[in-house]
Amino acid sequence: MNNTLSVRPKRGFRFYAHIYRKVLVQDLKSKMSYRADFIISTFGMILTNVVGFMSFYILFKNFPSINGWNYHEMLFLYGFSLIALTPLQCLFDNNWSLRYAVESGDFIKYCFRPINIFFYFISEVFDVKGLGQLAFGIVLLAYSWSHLGIPVTVVTMVQLILLLITASLFMIAIMNAAAATCFWILRSGYVMILMFRFKDYARYPASIFDGIFKVIFTFVIPIAFIAYYPGLVILRPDEIPLLSKLSPLFGILFFWLSYKFWMLGARRYDGTGS
Amino acid sequence: MTDYAIEMNGVVKEFKVLNRREGLKGSLLDLFSRDYRTVTAVDNISVKIPKGQIVGYLGPNGAGKSTTIKMMTGVLEPTRGDIIVNGNIPYKNRAKNAENIGVVFGQRSQLWWSLPLIESFKLLKDIYLIPDKEYEDMMALYESLVDMEPILHKTVRQMSLGQRTLSDILAAFLHNPKIVFLDEPTIGLDVSMKAKIRELIKELNRQKNTTVILTTHDMGDVDALCERIVIIDHGKMIYDNDMEHLKSYFGSYRTLKLRLPGDVWEETLIDESKTDVMSVISEHQKKGKILDIKLEEISTEEVIKKIYEGEAVEESASKIQAIYPKDSANPHAV
Repeated sequence: MNNTLSVRPKRGFRFYAHIYRKVLVQDLKSKMSYRADFIISTFGMILTNVVGFMSFYILFKNFPSINGWNYHEMLFLYGFSLIALTPLQCLFDNNWSLRYAVESGDFIKYCFRPINIFFYFISEVFDVKGLGQLAFGIVLLAYSWSHLGIPVTVVTMVQLILLLITASLFMIAIMNAAAATCFWILRSGYVMILMFRFKDYARYPASIFDGIFKVIFTFVIPIAFIAYYPGLVILRPDEIPLLSKLSPLFGILFFWLSYKFWMLGARRYDGTGS
Repeated sequence: MTDYAIEMNGVVKEFKVLNRREGLKGSLLDLFSRDYRTVTAVDNISVKIPKGQIVGYLGPNGAGKSTTIKMMTGVLEPTRGDIIVNGNIPYKNRAKNAENIGVVFGQRSQLWWSLPLIESFKLLKDIYLIPDKEYEDMMALYESLVDMEPILHKTVRQMSLGQRTLSDILAAFLHNPKIVFLDEPTIGLDVSMKAKIRELIKELNRQKNTTVILTTHDMGDVDALCERIVIIDHGKMIYDNDMEHLKSYFGSYRTLKLRLPGDVWEETLIDESKTDVMSVISEHQKKGKILDIKLEEISTEEVIKKIYEGEAVEESASKIQAIYPKDSANPHAV
């Protein structure tokens, strides 16, 4: 019995991918069984997006362009940011429950398994609501794409996918870091809500912000990387700034930093209230 | 390899607590100047637990039990002292330590709420990399011990408290860990469920030689399961010995109950090392008629209560010294 322990394989990428797939499938199955909940939340999400789009539309009815960006270009950034948001909303939604778990002491259960705590916690929830938003984002992006006459080539498609992944990483990194503040402060809910609001600015070109705000939105709370810098690569292929080219690297870096911050908090956790 | 599942040596855990000032003005001052005090939750605990033993880890609320368990499971780092669990330093190798332990923490279920139990088991099989054969053997053992049918396809969300506790315990033993920590496993359960859970723990301990660390406030658990008892209070260890020693801890006490005319029961606590029961009875007979006599052993509950209430703490400290002279191993080490 004892020697079987030592020959058990290590837990690598394949192990985690396997566990993740299993948890997701199970979670999805159980979600589907609560049909009313599923339909209402999906409907709510669509409505939220429609309302959001209306205010955007009214804005552009009155101002035909913002800082040299026309309606269809802005629509492109809008759709792009919605798609980039999907991985966060579908896969990292449990971050919203982190502070409750920490406050109530329930977080301790994540410390007793021989797997990565961050993975274990995040894998627990898959939120299907985000999928409605994804569909909405794809429609907006495809519509603006065709109106702008951007060529559909292998290069632009690969660029698009890479840039979307990059943008998602930034979005996830911001929310990871915001959620992890609950390990230090009590009212961390406000930090999360504030950060989540910031994502709405992501759909505007960062060039409309100047000075200090531009620096903040680029390096501190990197929302300019969610749509603007990646968007430039496709919308303004002749004048791609260095930051756009570096954005995938920055995305990985920010994600890694937010993960480290989250784990630092988790190690600090002492299981209050149990 | 040592023969111990757990070795703790001079373990201390201190917490820094902010001294909060009163009122709004006080809160504002707290923002700028902080005044911390150190609280010792666990104070110099040394204990060695051999493999396969069921140890009752007792103490009043806030005595430091949970803190100790958290250190043993690698969630907390001790401020001073050494802990070795299965040959590992838990805090330094949390994940490795987690391979060989199982934990049931009070009423917090560690299973996936929305999954049927069988799916949780299958996930745990993957997470702990349990070989098919071992998994099937374990499931067969479970089938033989408890009626799995009503719970196997239920989600944890739909279960009664008893079923949930049962599921959590089965899940904790599933990967055949060397040590299982049970924190109040029978809290809130009805009498028959309690009996079932105790029977299960006992049987799993016997068949798999699993070391069990049990914290509880239910002396029924202690009587049914524990071979050995460790009691801590205010972070200090105040008792560590076999169950048999416990009852003679305050001398050989018995309660004599006499029914006197008028249907009154009179109770007398007798220390048999000083007076004998017969002399007390004859003393009473001189005064009047005795209708009925009952002689009761002092219950575990009463002994523990006395220890908690700090009766003869001084004496108990010297007793521990006497049982385990400093720097030598305790009798369980032999």
